[in-house]
Amino acid sequence: MEGWDPNTKSTLTQIPLLTTKSGPRDGAAWTVRLKEEYKSLIAYTQMNKSNDNDWFRISASNPEGTRWTGKCWYVYNLLKYEFDLQFDIPVTYPSTAPELELPQLDGKTQKMYRGGKICLTVHFKPLWAKNCPRFGIAHALCLGLAPWLAAEIPILVDSGMIKHKDDATSSTES
Amino acid sequence: MDDELLELQRQFEFAQQAKSSIRLSDRNVVELVQKLQQLQVIDFELLHTASGKEYITLDQLRNEMVTEVKRLGRISVIDLADVTGVDLYYVEKLAQSIITDHGELMLTEGEIVTESYWDSIAEEINERLQECSQIALTELAVQLNVGLDLIASVLEPRLGTIVKGRLEGGQLYTPAYVARVSAMVRGAARGITVPTNLTVLWSSLQNLLQEMDGASGVAVDGSFFQSLFNGLVKGGEISGSVRAGVHWTPAVFAVAQKESVDSFFSQNSFISYDVLQKLGIPQPVQFLQVTNPRYPEGKPLVTTFVHPSMIEMLDAATEDALERGSWSDSLSLLPSSFTPQDASKMLFLCQSVQLALKSNKAHIFGDFYVLSSSFMKDICDCTVKELETLAVSKSLGTVKPGDLPIANEVKAGYDSSRLSVSSEMASDSGSNKHADKGPKKKKGKATGNALANQSESGADNQEHTSTKSKKSQRKGKDTSSQTSDSKQGSRKESLKMKEDNLSSPSEEWIMEKITALVPDFEEQGIDDPETILRPLANKLRPTIINTWMEKRKALFKDNAERMKQLLDNLQKKLDESFLNMQLYEKALELFEDDQSTSVVLHRHLLRTVAAPMVDMLLHDLDEQNKLKNGVEVQESPNSESISFSPGDRAAISKSFPGALSNKALAVVEALEGKRVETFMSSFRAVTEESGLPLKKLDKKLERTLLHSYRKELTSQVSAETDPVSLLPKVVSLLYVQVYHKALQAPGRAISVAISQLTDKLDETACKIIADYQAAAEDSCASNRIREILESQMPALKSLVSGASRS
Repeated sequence: MEGWDPNTKSTLTQIPLLTTKSGPRDGAAWTVRLKEEYKSLIAYTQMNKSNDNDWFRISASNPEGTRWTGKCWYVYNLLKYEFDLQFDIPVTYPSTAPELELPQLDGKTQKMYRGGKICLTVHFKPLWAKNCPRFGIAHALCLGLAPWLAAEIPILVDSGMIKHKDDATSSTES
Repeated sequence: MDDELLELQRQFEFAQQAKSSIRLSDRNVVELVQKLQQLQVIDFELLHTASGKEYITLDQLRNEMVTEVKRLGRISVIDLADVTGVDLYYVEKLAQSIITDHGELMLTEGEIVTESYWDSIAEEINERLQECSQIALTELAVQLNVGLDLIASVLEPRLGTIVKGRLEGGQLYTPAYVARVSAMVRGAARGITVPTNLTVLWSSLQNLLQEMDGASGVAVDGSFFQSLFNGLVKGGEISGSVRAGVHWTPAVFAVAQKESVDSFFSQNSFISYDVLQKLGIPQPVQFLQVTNPRYPEGKPLVTTFVHPSMIEMLDAATEDALERGSWSDSLSLLPSSFTPQDASKMLFLCQSVQLALKSNKAHIFGDFYVLSSSFMKDICDCTVKELETLAVSKSLGTVKPGDLPIANEVKAGYDSSRLSVSSEMASDSGSNKHADKGPKKKKGKATGNALANQSESGADNQEHTSTKSKKSQRKGKDTSSQTSDSKQGSRKESLKMKEDNLSSPSEEWIMEKITALVPDFEEQGIDDPETILRPLANKLRPTIINTWMEKRKALFKDNAERMKQLLDNLQKKLDESFLNMQLYEKALELFEDDQSTSVVLHRHLLRTVAAPMVDMLLHDLDEQNKLKNGVEVQESPNSESISFSPGDRAAISKSFPGALSNKALAVVEALEGKRVETFMSSFRAVTEESGLPLKKLDKKLERTLLHSYRKELTSQVSAETDPVSLLPKVVSLLYVQVYHKALQAPGRAISVAISQLTDKLDETACKIIADYQAAAEDSCASNRIREILESQMPALKSLVSGASRS
């Protein structure tokens, strides 16, 4: 678990683990898995809220629950930068982790694959593989997206690659 | 899509819609609180914790502290500060107010303790106590980490209620344990039959307890035993007496002791302190007289306590001995455990002895020998007699063999010579006579008085009528000595100096005499003559000397006359012969140059003239000496006829006192020598020493003497018929005529004498003498020559007579 900051780690350990190992094509088993996904997401969300650390909104955009969309945000210098968030559940899930996409930032940073998929740290994949059936979407968000946002947004803001929406509007207005 | 999934979707949606809680940073909160305080919204004191993360009000702190104390029962203020996380200063301050508010709390040594805590502790202690039967308070104090006083004060009110036991000398005991130890103490105390130091007993009991309890046994304090023991004594469970808190004397021992003393004393009429000490009575006299006054009639002595019957027995025996005019050894009459001091003390308690002492009928020597006066008188008389015989034998100058053992004789001789000196002194100053006895008599008298004072009454003289005559004698003597005493006072000192030279039979000598007279004493005093013989001799000596002196004084009176006569005679005779001697000496000067003749002449003079003179002097001096000593001297037949051998002379000279002896010896020596001069000087010294001044030859006297000598010689020559003896006389006469010197020449020196004459006489005279002398030298050989000599005699005679006439 090295490679992550202590806050992330403590949070991660508090997210309920999943048990069912089944992908989107496994039918009923997938439903069971999906329910567990929801439970863990609820717990994670509540945790974040109670710690005054709420940073995303997501929801399944198809009934199978294989595509998720939502928003995520990061507060930097008392300004809130908000981005669209979307990802698909791969068919080999849960062996393969979902690829999180921030389409608004596509082409603005090097730490990103084409199409806005974020580059995760070297530590993520082995950890995920090790905890194959137990980690779910909540874990992927906590381990993948949250550290990425904390690392990349300040750099992007400071370099002027992204602008706060108020600034953007004001600049456009002016 | 089942319902559950929808429900979960909905819940997730709801969870995401829910308002997230808002968190303020610490810094914001602190600022907020400060703002509130500034705004007086918070108008009470607010404390913050040591971590700086919390605010707490005083009331809350107080509540927390009280709960904490109540929960734990006992907590230190420091711990309390840690628990509440508030600064110690506030906690301490609050602790004080809490203690005052809550009566059941107490603050000791920085700790707050509740009563209930102590109750529970007491219960614990009680449990342990019931298990171990005894616990040391110190142990408890260490265990609870509180002061010894505190735990004692806490336990005190709980003893008997919560803690069922007894606190004794810093130890807690259960009643059962106390009862057991008490039983041990009782058993030990009852078992003891001899006086014991209780601490020893306690230590042995302690050992016993430790053995019983094994290694776990806690040392029981001695004071615990002591208090139990005291209780037992008070309760009458054990009987005896305790002295100084630790010396226990059991009643049974005291009783046995008393009975033992009683039985011994009643059986033997005495008991020695040693026995009492063995019985464990440290102060026997006190015990017998004060502590235990059952023997009121008993008398304490130095080492023994006696019943009066014992004293009566001794009294009777001694009285008997005194009446018989004998002596008694009190110590031999008493049991062997009696010391001389005891015997002496008992004698002081004997009435008859005291009376006898007071009336001078008895004397005590060496503490316990009682001698009657008559007995002593006998000894005295005997000794004086002995002394006389000795003095006589000495003065006669010969020792009678078999009279006495040699050693005695020598000593006696020495003593008597010393005596003679004293007698001289005595005659010099008559009143000094008794001087040397003064102090001794006085002492004796003083003690006598003391003795007399001690005896109660004295009027039984009639009992001793038999010894009355002797007593009266003694009394006479005593009074005389007493009168002399009164004179002595001032002279004592000077006399004491002389005392060394003073004469008296030595104590040793008297002691030996006494031993010879009373053989019993030897048996008694052989091991230690000091006990009786010496004091007795000491006591008797003055009396003996006194008696003897008186005897001698009487003798002196007789002798004095004779002495004077003797001296006068001696003086006369000496004068005469000494003048002659001087005369003859002068003639020797003629032959000074002729060495051999001179020697011969000197010798001749010494032999013929000096020797009789010396003998006469020595004899007379000796006689005078004896007379002085009061020795009876037979009237000597004729002093002229005396002649001594050189050995006799030396012996007599030695017998003279002091310096005279030396000088007389010198004379005797000179007599054997060759020089008349030395003899003359030493002879003069002797005569001067003995108070006989000799006349010196002066011219006038010399002439007279020479004249008479000449006359005598002339008459002798004319009357002489023997031709051989005529020659020396003629020669002498010729010397007188020629040289006016009186020559005494032996036959050998005649020829030399004649040759000396030749140059003074005429031819014919010389011829006659020479011829005669030559003939005389052969005269011994034949009668014929004698005849020739006889024929020549008239010629020779005429030669002299003629010369004398011319």
